[in-house]
Amino acid sequence: MDITFNNVNYIYQENSPFAHKALENLSFHIPSGSFVAIVGHTGSGKSTLIQHLNGLIRPTKGEVRIGDYRLTHADKPKNLKELRSRVGVVFQYPEHQLFDETVEKDISFGPKNFGVMDREIRKRIQEVIPAVGLSEELLERSPFELSGGQMRRVAIAGVLAVKPEILVLDEPTAGLDPRGQKEIMEMFYSLHQEEQLTTVLVTHSMEDAVKYADQVIILNKGSKYMEGKPEDVFTQQEALNKVQLDVPEMIEFLYAFEQRFGKAIPFKRQSIEQLADQVYQSLKEAGVDE
Amino acid sequence: MREKLIEFRNVSFRYGEEEPWVLKDCSFSIYKDEWVAIIGHNGSGKSTIAKLMNGLLFPQEGEIYISGKIVNQETIWEVRKEVGMVFQNPDNQFVGTTVQDDVAFGMENRGIPREDMIKRIDTSLTAVGMNDYRLTEPHRLSGGQKQRVAIAGVLAISPRVLILDEATAMLDPKGRMEIMNTVSNVQEMNQISLITITHDLREVVQAERVIVMNEGVIWDEANPREIFAKKDKLREIGLDVPFIALLAEELKKKGISMKNEPLNHNELLEDLWTLHSTM
Repeated sequence: MDITFNNVNYIYQENSPFAHKALENLSFHIPSGSFVAIVGHTGSGKSTLIQHLNGLIRPTKGEVRIGDYRLTHADKPKNLKELRSRVGVVFQYPEHQLFDETVEKDISFGPKNFGVMDREIRKRIQEVIPAVGLSEELLERSPFELSGGQMRRVAIAGVLAVKPEILVLDEPTAGLDPRGQKEIMEMFYSLHQEEQLTTVLVTHSMEDAVKYADQVIILNKGSKYMEGKPEDVFTQQEALNKVQLDVPEMIEFLYAFEQRFGKAIPFKRQSIEQLADQVYQSLKEAGVDE
Repeated sequence: MREKLIEFRNVSFRYGEEEPWVLKDCSFSIYKDEWVAIIGHNGSGKSTIAKLMNGLLFPQEGEIYISGKIVNQETIWEVRKEVGMVFQNPDNQFVGTTVQDDVAFGMENRGIPREDMIKRIDTSLTAVGMNDYRLTEPHRLSGGQKQRVAIAGVLAISPRVLILDEATAMLDPKGRMEIMNTVSNVQEMNQISLITITHDLREVVQAERVIVMNEGVIWDEANPREIFAKKDKLREIGLDVPFIALLAEELKKKGISMKNEPLNHNELLEDLWTLHSTM
């Protein structure tokens, strides 16, 4: 399903002294099947944006289209529940939403709510448990006895068990250790590819945005500040610094390298190994030999 | 010898009698005015250490001393005056109905006079850049802003040790940098010790000393340069190595050997420059 925002405004508590404009004239298009990173500093409107994606809120002005579903101030889709079964949202710290007695019951809660039959749920659990890197022995345990990383995987399994077509991830790796972060992102990336999902990743990690996304949208003060391929967006260091965002560390290095040696190495999402080779070649030309 | 502020003597801890040991025979010291980073994979015992430091938990074996006082049921109120702690999730820490009430809360508990309190609210909120939000209600703040208020609340009671237990994990890069700058300024100005429990390598590199935890034991204890020289071993225990250290490693494979183990861009470029100009 494609996602389209047309001139979306969202104002919290409109017509009150507390009115706060969170999104302003926001337009963008996410083609079905793409992996998009949404980046912006705290308060830039990222969370407000993703709440539109499954109709938790509707635009104050403008329209949001998710596939055939249309959300405007006046219209909410008649089949909102169906939309929510097709758009899975993994909120920040999803493990805080675990509640049931056992891991199995917790994972079943979502699909059950959407009317999936018990037999089908059991089948889906068999699929999602290995997908999120858990073992079936945990199914009978209380989710609250698990480690933080495992709890997060259970919560994610609950979203996946609904079999969404669009997966929205709000900082899914926050608070995990480096290994956990990498495992979770690799997991989402392979799901994205295998299930041909449309993935929307909200992140502060420029490194993850560069690594996984086809398209990056930078938000600032509720508006779109930049949009494009990661290698085009993240190389604009000055523009990013202006809105208090970092660039991925490799780009920062390439910039410093150019300042120091007067030689530009273009950023092409190269590996560290490739970069080392380019640095080596570049210095060799300048007269460093072993 | 520098003054020992915190000392763990053969500390072991587990959450229940049937449970596995979370900490196994840990001994280490934190000195006055020192900045120590504690790193380790999730479940390695880092946060348990923090909770033992201000008496939220007590060890089954071994002793913990804060400023020479043993930590136990009788001393926890004394200890908590000296050990301020900020946790990962700001929503679990907010108690006031406004920002300034929240900062005042810790001071009220400690019976700090009103005059002094007003002054401290001002200084600590200024230090975290939240003075413009004094009358704001917490639910109108972003996660990052709440966290800055939480830090202000701790700074206001001027503890001798400030523990940040993954306190920047939820912040954006700018917020993270602001907090780290604030915290390091405060550390210098107020002469307090700083313990940061973190996965953020840039925070680790700033520390004077790093304690690496692995499966409940102290795996290593050294300065950041020495720690990050052990790249492969760190990766084995699930930890990351800074980008610059990785690049230096790859360059070494190509035959470009750095003198030092560079930890930041400048150090690496400096080394490359030296090589480049001597050829």
